Amino acid sequence: MKKYSLWAAVFIAAVTLSQQSMAAGDPKKGKDVFAEECGDCHSAAPGKNKKGPSLFGAIGRKAGAVPDFSGYSEAMKQSDITWSADKVDSYIAQPRKVVPGGKMKYDGLDDLAARTDVIAYLSSLK
Amino acid sequence: MRASSAKWPGIAGGLGLRIVGKILYVTALFGLSASVANAVPSYARQTGSDCVSCHVGGYGPQLTPYGMNFKLGGYTDTDGKDMKIPLSAMLVANWMRTSKDVAEADKLEYFGTNNNAAVQEVSLFLAGRMTDNIGTFIQSTYSGVEKKWALDQVDIRFARSLKLGDKDATLGLSLNNNPTLTDPFNTLAQWRFPYVSSDFNAGFGPTPLMENLGGSVAGANAYMLFDKNFYAELGLYDTLSTTGLNMINAGDAGKFKGVGTYWRLAYVKDMKRDNFNIGLVGFNAKVQPDRSDLGTANDYRDLGIDAAYQFLGNREHIFTVNASYMKEWQTLNYTYSNLAEADNLKNSLNQFRLAGSYHYNQTWGATAGIFDSRGSTDSLLYGSSLNGRPNTSGYILQGDWTPWGKEDSWGAPFANVRLGVQYTGYNRFMGGSSYLDGDGNERRATDNNTVMLFLWTSI
Repeated sequence: MKKYSLWAAVFIAAVTLSQQSMAAGDPKKGKDVFAEECGDCHSAAPGKNKKGPSLFGAIGRKAGAVPDFSGYSEAMKQSDITWSADKVDSYIAQPRKVVPGGKMKYDGLDDLAARTDVIAYLSSLK
Repeated sequence: MRASSAKWPGIAGGLGLRIVGKILYVTALFGLSASVANAVPSYARQTGSDCVSCHVGGYGPQLTPYGMNFKLGGYTDTDGKDMKIPLSAMLVANWMRTSKDVAEADKLEYFGTNNNAAVQEVSLFLAGRMTDNIGTFIQSTYSGVEKKWALDQVDIRFARSLKLGDKDATLGLSLNNNPTLTDPFNTLAQWRFPYVSSDFNAGFGPTPLMENLGGSVAGANAYMLFDKNFYAELGLYDTLSTTGLNMINAGDAGKFKGVGTYWRLAYVKDMKRDNFNIGLVGFNAKVQPDRSDLGTANDYRDLGIDAAYQFLGNREHIFTVNASYMKEWQTLNYTYSNLAEADNLKNSLNQFRLAGSYHYNQTWGATAGIFDSRGSTDSLLYGSSLNGRPNTSGYILQGDWTPWGKEDSWGAPFANVRLGVQYTGYNRFMGGSSYLDGDGNERRATDNNTVMLFLWTSI
């Protein structure tokens, strides 16, 4: 019993740390991550679409909802996703798993800290 | 972009029609295929991307992985909006000073023996997406040095993405007029440093046949990028007819016996923050230099290895290195046996190129390169050499300023310009520290050292 409690405590601590690290993402570092990983296809400027839609104001937005971007896949438009920080984290970790059939040619970002930072940066774009 | 034998002090003077067999040979050895490379804003308008997404330093042909994939995808990526006009224009102007005036016999028509300024190229491009799977890169150029128009570069592509097993693949077909034009990297002839050079420059030494056929051939190349890492390409080329060459104002490389075969293998790895590629390339062709005397052909076999690395990071500090080594085996059946214009039936050529660059803020650039070409001793073939060798080596230093091309730049994506200064220094020219110029006088290799100021702009 004691053993299970210990594992439970470790699990809870890990989840808490994970949430804290996401909450503690550094938008300044995230801007660099954005430049390295996202900036070729996405702009952070409002209304500026590239091969992918502008990510200005992406956090909290419905998927496939940038009005003047016509490059969405049907899969993205039908996904019924709202881009919470957690959902963005899942998506940029494994894009094809979260939106099968999506157009984004990106294998995913394994580094949790980098994902947290870029989400912090995206959250700052308001 | 066209090779110009007249650029070669000591060589142009020896280029008479009398020695027909040498025409192709000299063209192959001394053509300056890497004159001005391209920047095409119509692609930026089509994709909504900035110049810096595709190009290191925000201008010119040095491609990022994003730019490589755009090219391999057949120039068809888009931001989803219609009504994009696939037209661009480019202008290159320069002024150049050589350490010592060139010989009268070596100076270019319409220009002096030194301190020449020219609008070197004015180009129009049909460059962009035609259908979902077909795109073009077609350039027509007016040379302000040669005072004539020519169809310059042609690359018409069909490409599509698909799954092979559970792996991504891009398959494509290119109809083009220049081996190495199709290459997505910046290590081979068409796309390597220096990305701009003057027609008044003495050039960078002998180059293999593969690098000197631009405009004079037509080719069909099939290519594949498999699993984002493995690139393979196979192309078959034939020479154009004399009528065809005259129609597009292209130089005559002679007539192939059979077809020329181009192949390319490369491994490329994109880690986003940085990337690298390493590859092999080859070209084989049998060339009959004189179209009125067909039957016997010179045989050329080119084989090269190349590698490149880019550190892109957050794009504030970008470093790149490009390197290539090429060897050519020549069997001069026509030049040696029919014309007796070469000492040897078999010769070889070795060419090494290396360039490293740094760009700050996608605006300020510094690039250093070295060139080194060496060949067999053949006094008949290399008449201007004092030791019978064509060996030429030296270095190129360039500093440039590219103020626009970023997302928030003034006039984006229409206004694009690069201003720069380039210095070329020679250690050896045509065999050693001295050679014979077109007037038959001894000239030092360092007499060809040059400073060039250039303006390169496109809309």
